[in-house]
Amino acid sequence: MSNRCQLYKKFLLIGVLLGYFMLNPLAPAYAMHIMEGFLPLRWCLFWAVLTLPFLVLGMRSIGRTVREHPEMKMLLGLAGAFTFVLSALKMPSVTGSSSHPTGVGLGTVLFGPTAMTVLGFIVLIFQALLLAHGGITTLGANTFSMAVVGPLVAWGLYRVCVRLKTPLWAGVFLGALFGDLCTYVTTATQLALAFPSPVGGFTASLVKFMAIYAVTQVPLAVSEGLLTVVIFNLLTVHNRRELEELAVLARPEKPAGEGRS
Amino acid sequence: MLKIDQYAYINRLSQVHPAEKILLALATMIVCLAFTSPVLYLAVILLMTAVTVVMARIPGRFFLKLMLAPMAFLALSVLTVVFVVAASGYPVLWGVQIGGHVIGVTAAGLIQAGTLFLRAMGAVSCLYFLSLTTPMVELFSTLRALRLPPLFVELMSLIYRYIFVLLETTDRIYTAQATRFGYANLRTSYASLGQLLSSLFVRSYYNAQMLFTALTSRGYTGNLNVLENTYALSRRNLTVIGVVEAALVVIGLWSTGVLHGILHSTMGGAGF
Repeated sequence: MSNRCQLYKKFLLIGVLLGYFMLNPLAPAYAMHIMEGFLPLRWCLFWAVLTLPFLVLGMRSIGRTVREHPEMKMLLGLAGAFTFVLSALKMPSVTGSSSHPTGVGLGTVLFGPTAMTVLGFIVLIFQALLLAHGGITTLGANTFSMAVVGPLVAWGLYRVCVRLKTPLWAGVFLGALFGDLCTYVTTATQLALAFPSPVGGFTASLVKFMAIYAVTQVPLAVSEGLLTVVIFNLLTVHNRRELEELAVLARPEKPAGEGRS
Repeated sequence: MLKIDQYAYINRLSQVHPAEKILLALATMIVCLAFTSPVLYLAVILLMTAVTVVMARIPGRFFLKLMLAPMAFLALSVLTVVFVVAASGYPVLWGVQIGGHVIGVTAAGLIQAGTLFLRAMGAVSCLYFLSLTTPMVELFSTLRALRLPPLFVELMSLIYRYIFVLLETTDRIYTAQATRFGYANLRTSYASLGQLLSSLFVRSYYNAQMLFTALTSRGYTGNLNVLENTYALSRRNLTVIGVVEAALVVIGLWSTGVLHGILHSTMGGAGF
């Protein structure tokens, strides 16, 4: 009996590995957005309602910034386009397949979390309409995971690292890495809430979704962390002045300079 | 560069009032999500394919390719829903025993997965109809007419405009790098991509400044005013949309058995 059990285990392992190598080149094509029509109506509404206050706050913050610095509107527009193009680029992944970055980490560090919520929302609309990736009904859920949770986590970690006076690259790497990871954990949670397992309910379902998507999303997060550090290092070496000017965007309350930290 | 966007401007339905197309897409999507009925989902897929391929003249092959695009997500997610991990002894149709647990599929799980698959495809076909037939510019004027914050719509149109500028820049830098073996291996790929994005960022930054200078010199006072195309709402189209949605709702009610129940109870109540 135990012999048979071992055989099964071996088969399962082979199956899992096969599945991994078959799906890996396909699945990480984009960061995980919940596709159109996948969530039941009430969960679509739930996440949309939950996301709305963050969007309103983001719009207010952007509105204030734009009133004080009219040129910031153009910069925000370009920042959004930059985030979209970034997310459409193929990124070499550490596992050998290629995937697309989310741009959450870089965008948050450059433009601040409140602006990123609004920009992320718009980018998600364009990804749905222009790239056929994501969806209109799942816009609320996807915005919550990618443009609310992701930026908040990335920003929090980045600020903590800055305060602890770690090297800048460490803060940028951790921010981008965990911004991605938390986005994916949130998406898995959303899926698990909508589709609880008949045995074990929400928890079992969450474990299932996390396990399956971890295969594609963890390498993606590591790759994006690395890429963000490479970009940020180049920017700090060659474009220090622009980064300092951008601090206005990241901290709309204190445009004068001396930051909160 | 973005094929969907090109088709949105050149399809046969591009001159139809955008609100009509948005109404058809969104209403059908909501009907699709509101009912649990595979028959309805199939009807929606057929309807949207017909409207997009036959009426809007989008090449069928392109539409099919788009419909297959979300397969990776769908396959992974549906499989996750299908498989159940339970203590051994749980009734499964087919399963693997590991230790004291069984990983397997149940009949209910299979039905749920099939329904889920069709519903997602139905909703996706509505999304594709909208994005393949409605130019983004018309979408913006509709959003403006719906009284969304002007700043938001302006940001959207700025982003939309510059997506193409930045995509073209990216394309050029990428080609230049690739011809110089910039993407020969993983190490050089990271270095090249980093350089590409950092210079793209700096170019975006200066593009924004140049845009602001150009606008200010032309009397920009904080609002981007654009001329909008005017379309006439067609009463005929609206009626057709209404009839189609009503038909879909009837299909939904009928296939879930609700209609049957209502008919029975009213007939019984009337004393037939």
